[in-house]
Amino acid sequence: MRLRHRETTVAPAAIEVRGLRKTYPGDVEAVAAIDFDVAPGEVFGLLGPNGAGKSTTVGMLTTMVVPTGGTARIAGFDVATEPLAARSVSSVVFQDAVVDRALTGRRNLEIHARLWGIDPAAARDRTDEYVETLGLAVLIDRPVGSYSGGERRRLEIARALVSAPQVLFLDEPTVGLDPRIRHELLDVIAGLRDRSELTILVTTHYLDEAERLCDRIAIIRSGQIVALDTPAALLAGLGPELVEVRVNGKTGAALAALRSHGVAGEDAFTVGSTITVPLHRRTAAETVAAVDELRLAAVVTTRPPTLDDVYLQLTGDPLADAA
Amino acid sequence: MDTVTTLPTTLRRPPARRHALLAPLLTLARRRFQLAARTPRELVVPLLTPILFALVIAPSLKKALHTDASYESFVAVGTLGLLIPLNTMFAGIGVISDRQNGAQRELLAAPIPRGLLVLGNLLVALAVTGLQVAALIGFAVARRIHFHPTAAGVAWFLAAALLFAIAMYGAAETLAARVSGQEEYIGRVPAIAIVPWFLAGSLFPITALPVGLAWITRFLPLTHGLALLRYGLLGDSSGLHDIWRMTSPTAMAGLSLAVVAAFAAILTTVSIRVFSRSARL
Repeated sequence: MRLRHRETTVAPAAIEVRGLRKTYPGDVEAVAAIDFDVAPGEVFGLLGPNGAGKSTTVGMLTTMVVPTGGTARIAGFDVATEPLAARSVSSVVFQDAVVDRALTGRRNLEIHARLWGIDPAAARDRTDEYVETLGLAVLIDRPVGSYSGGERRRLEIARALVSAPQVLFLDEPTVGLDPRIRHELLDVIAGLRDRSELTILVTTHYLDEAERLCDRIAIIRSGQIVALDTPAALLAGLGPELVEVRVNGKTGAALAALRSHGVAGEDAFTVGSTITVPLHRRTAAETVAAVDELRLAAVVTTRPPTLDDVYLQLTGDPLADAA
Repeated sequence: MDTVTTLPTTLRRPPARRHALLAPLLTLARRRFQLAARTPRELVVPLLTPILFALVIAPSLKKALHTDASYESFVAVGTLGLLIPLNTMFAGIGVISDRQNGAQRELLAAPIPRGLLVLGNLLVALAVTGLQVAALIGFAVARRIHFHPTAAGVAWFLAAALLFAIAMYGAAETLAARVSGQEEYIGRVPAIAIVPWFLAGSLFPITALPVGLAWITRFLPLTHGLALLRYGLLGDSSGLHDIWRMTSPTAMAGLSLAVVAAFAAILTTVSIRVFSRSARL
């Protein structure tokens, strides 16, 4: 008797995370029961400060880190119970250089293709395609040790794509690169968005990268997702305009004073000696006048909100918290 | 008869790519060999000390101690007991380099069992060890050191050398997975590769040791390995007799080979488990 499964045509989420948790020895909770889905073809950003749990999350999704609890599926494959299948449909570009420097770029790509079980002819075609697309043609037969940081990163992206993954993990892909190379690399990654079948999860703490690349963004703080939405929706939460108040004394006391006088709401936040007040009902002029009356500020300015403000509001200011 | 069922999840998953293990194993071994070939340290350094022993120190000892030519042969085979552990331990340094500065994490992200990484490295360590053993024997023959191999003897020799190298590579890979860096690793190499060599009958029979120490050496894989190598290359079963106190050389050789094989199996299994665990935080 032969069993045949009749399946519906509902595609699973490319990445499905439910209650995913990681606690390291010593009761260090790196990731605290997070949930999110990434749709096929979506570019999803995971933002957060250092130590927030971004890399641990990517580590669990790429089967490098064993989850303490919860589940995660890559293209429907459970990372804990089907790790080989989950790895077969994904590729990773790591935060730091993970290449064989003594070997040529082409050999690095060949090894990846063979380990992912790609037909040699298809691997050659894809290698030629990505070498051309990513501007590696003059470098590809040189040892990787002779590459610059940006060239090596482009090679790592080409390598990740040679196996035609359904899910690509980019773990802080531009960290440590100079501004020119960083922007060139962002162009490359933005170009990958055109491949509609490719789902990308990118971790970063550069807000401009996230705004430029991502369809949706999750902001992670202390192992928990504190916001998850499109960049536009996250920005809209801060209202049309902000007032920045640079104070002379303690920011904690000044913020409390602004709140008690109804000048600032609960969504006002501090970064260093600056208090940022999102405007919802009051106008900028009314708010500036109210701040002047309280004689708290050295400098008061107004401006439209950016994704940086969303990030800073949600990830907090440890000094202000301590105060 | 076909039976049609509907998956309860109602999700259509893409097929996972599956492929045989041999192709990735050979890819990993070829990669490791290419990296080793670009690191002359891994190929040349382990050979220097044993060659010095076989070609310079053994003849000098023979002259100083007024022994006959067979002592040169005894020590020449004994130096294989230094060459094999040194070479396999040096191969372990490559594993640490791979972890710290190489592509190990990329390999760990590949859809292959992680034990294959250990086996791919093992294949190359065995190949390099084989070349070095052949080179040492070639140098010894050129230096007019005499061996007395028979077909059966060569088979015992090859089996013992192969299994002992596998066992030592298992120790090297395990150590490489457990230490944080090359300095710590190199600091532990003498205890694993050199101290046993002085005790296991390399330069003198184990019966020359104090009785208690001689008993301890019987539990070292190197003691059994060296006795087998000499039995195979020189037709000399005295080392086996010193261990087992039996009369049948074949039976004693079989027992010693079983001991070395057990070490090889255990240490390889341990190395795969330790590596796989160390690869997952």
